[in-house]
Amino acid sequence: MTPLLELQDLGVTYRTADGDLEAVRGVDLTLQPGETLGVAGESGSGKSTVAASVLRLLPKSATVTGTVLLDGQDVGAMRWGTLRAARWSEASVVFQGAMHALNPVRRVGKQIAEPIRLHTDAGESEIDARVRELLGQVDLPAAKARAYPHELSGGQKQRVMIAMALACDPRLVIADEPTTALDVIVQAQVLDLLGTLVEQRGIGLVFITHDLSVLASTCSRIAVMYQGRIVESGDAKEVITAPRHEHTAALAAAFPEVGDPGSRYAPATAEPLPEEGERDPQQPVLLSARDLRVHFRDRTGATVAAVNGVDLDVRRDEIVALVGQSGSGKTTLARTLLGLQRPTSGAVYYDGGPVPVSTSGLRDYRRRVQLVLQDPSSALNPRHTVYESVAEGPRIHRLGGDERDRVVRALEAAELRPAEQYLTRLPHELSGGQRQRVVIAGALALDPNVLVADEPVASLDASVRGEILGLLLRLRRQLGLAGLVITHDLGLAWNVADRVAVMYRGELVEVGAVEQVLLEPRHDYTGALLAALPSAGRDDARHEC
Amino acid sequence: MSAPVWQRRRAAAVDVWRQFRANRGALFGTAFIALLVLFSLLAPLLIDQRGLEVVTATGGSLEPPSGEYWLGTDESGRSVMLLTLWGARVSLLVGFAATLLSVVVGTLVGVVSAHFGGWISAVLMRITDFFLVLPALVLAAVLMAVLPTSMWTVIMAIGVTSWPTTARLVRAQTLSVESRPYIERSKALGGGHAHVIGKHVLPSVLPLVFANTTLVVGGSIIAESTLAFLGMSGPEISWGSMLDRANQSGAVTAGAWWYLLPPGIAIVLVVLSFTLVGRGLETVLNPRLKGER
Repeated sequence: MTPLLELQDLGVTYRTADGDLEAVRGVDLTLQPGETLGVAGESGSGKSTVAASVLRLLPKSATVTGTVLLDGQDVGAMRWGTLRAARWSEASVVFQGAMHALNPVRRVGKQIAEPIRLHTDAGESEIDARVRELLGQVDLPAAKARAYPHELSGGQKQRVMIAMALACDPRLVIADEPTTALDVIVQAQVLDLLGTLVEQRGIGLVFITHDLSVLASTCSRIAVMYQGRIVESGDAKEVITAPRHEHTAALAAAFPEVGDPGSRYAPATAEPLPEEGERDPQQPVLLSARDLRVHFRDRTGATVAAVNGVDLDVRRDEIVALVGQSGSGKTTLARTLLGLQRPTSGAVYYDGGPVPVSTSGLRDYRRRVQLVLQDPSSALNPRHTVYESVAEGPRIHRLGGDERDRVVRALEAAELRPAEQYLTRLPHELSGGQRQRVVIAGALALDPNVLVADEPVASLDASVRGEILGLLLRLRRQLGLAGLVITHDLGLAWNVADRVAVMYRGELVEVGAVEQVLLEPRHDYTGALLAALPSAGRDDARHEC
Repeated sequence: MSAPVWQRRRAAAVDVWRQFRANRGALFGTAFIALLVLFSLLAPLLIDQRGLEVVTATGGSLEPPSGEYWLGTDESGRSVMLLTLWGARVSLLVGFAATLLSVVVGTLVGVVSAHFGGWISAVLMRITDFFLVLPALVLAAVLMAVLPTSMWTVIMAIGVTSWPTTARLVRAQTLSVESRPYIERSKALGGGHAHVIGKHVLPSVLPLVFANTTLVVGGSIIAESTLAFLGMSGPEISWGSMLDRANQSGAVTAGAWWYLLPPGIAIVLVVLSFTLVGRGLETVLNPRLKGER
């Protein structure tokens, strides 16, 4: 039987201003119909380039060597017309980031119909029927065909993208990070859907992601890419449970299993963690919220309660994880705690007293409670050097002493060593993990007592994730720094947190010690979050693909 | 610490200059403006000012170009070449001063409106809209009628009518900068309004303002010439007032092209130079235009 897709010694080189860049080197892959192949790797490992080369969607600056056989035909040798016909009717792509891949000013029904119009000469009524059928296949009501992209949620948009990919009955679907921007519950739905489609229609699926645990539950075979090469490939379970290449091991360790005692208080970091000292369970409460409410008015004038009566305590020498889906009000709560958003009612207390509202009082408060943002690449002013960024806080607060000394100490504390080497660098010269360390150093330069981190690792690569989490844990153990970490990732809570607060629709539905909440959830929503986690070992029965 | 910062700024300036240099039109404009500014500053030393006075002028009325008067004479016997060269002083001064006024007001209104938002923004933007729809020439004419006739009234009239476009531009750019997370980080670090505006907003808005400024200068010079041509100007010699006098003294019917063309061509050249420089700077400094090239 001819394989559906066969890559032989595929190489892709990009011509750039700084010379040639080999993005993909000597990649061999095969995929049979009805099979799911997972391709894992970090950003820059070349996995998306492999996907684009299958349909020759690469930019002009790319040179391709080796062969790509799609159903036995050489894609590289195809004439333009044949290639056009092959795109979408033979093989189609579910693009990364459904938010940006849909045209915002056209109804989604029309967008799904577009490939059908291009590739067949079906009549209007036929097309309408086909669009309805496709929407049914991805579990969306037919009425949604008349919706505009902004009227759909992230998961619904992703499903529209899948419907588009299926529009012309392709035999091969390439899904490029289809679930990265989605939260756990929606991600589980999308994965289920893809699994069912593979099973029922016998299509081949290439699934590209940086999250190994997602692949474990969907794919039969996995190939791990690193620096443009495939470093390991084989049976999914074998690759994950007994990784042979160290990079695979790092990827696997980055997504810990909730409940695994080996990864409790042990993020995947190369540097050893300091021993846990004596911990006084009755540490004083540093930051607390009492019956906090924040209301917004939406476009129609209706009131939306983003935060709806929250009571939360963060103690000294403790990390609290605030978990919940996107839209649950986590970020609004964090902004309110920091005084960046005014509460509608209720109050925030710091060290026993209410947080002041006056400008100077608030400035003093902000020295004590610091923020680490989600995306370090946009959290630093691109025109400011590392030194200026870190020194910004001390300058605002006119802290005395030697400024340079303070900056160097903060950078060392954030584990950017040797600090002198980084002082004059600009953000774009640093990697994602280094940028996040600079943001953390900027907060540490003020000697704060509480660090509020909003999804501190969500936009970082898997191997960096463990390092940043390790840093947070070390800061807590060495300096007694209190942390409130906002995340959608339960594995993160398991890695570093002492207590978990689960937020759902503006309310905290469950608060307690990590072990208690994550292993014996009392609230239904916590249970749903846990059940939606893709897991390597636990439920093997979910997909046999 | 400051050494690397200056090094980096100098490197950035060199980079901008390198890209700017690739644009021939902009380079020509820069050279022309530089020459003209230099000459205008030195003019009192180079030109015998007696030739500019009606009573001390030596030539006959409306003489065509000759060896003595290269560009002929005006109706009072003054050399048209001297008048044109001298006129550059007023045109440039009005152009720069009106632009300064317009850019300062526009930047202030734009930044304040975008930074504070809410009702402050609403009020400021309505005022901007009011000045935006006001016919500039009519307002300037009214101001000239109400205020004493002098060059400074011309400057104010032009400045007051040309700031709204700058305000709009600056406001848009400020809004886009303020939506970046590093502004939020700066606020969380305890930075107040002055800090956020001074450290983050202005440095990223000013290059664009600078590019816009050069374009405004050209517009201001045209406005000054128009007003002067319509008889609304001080007693100083400017290109606009030369054209006005040429028109009134019957230079057109007399066929005295040498009286009309020099100030006209001077206006065209100067405005063209400023526009070329402004466009050149814009393509280098405005990130949005850069990508499309």
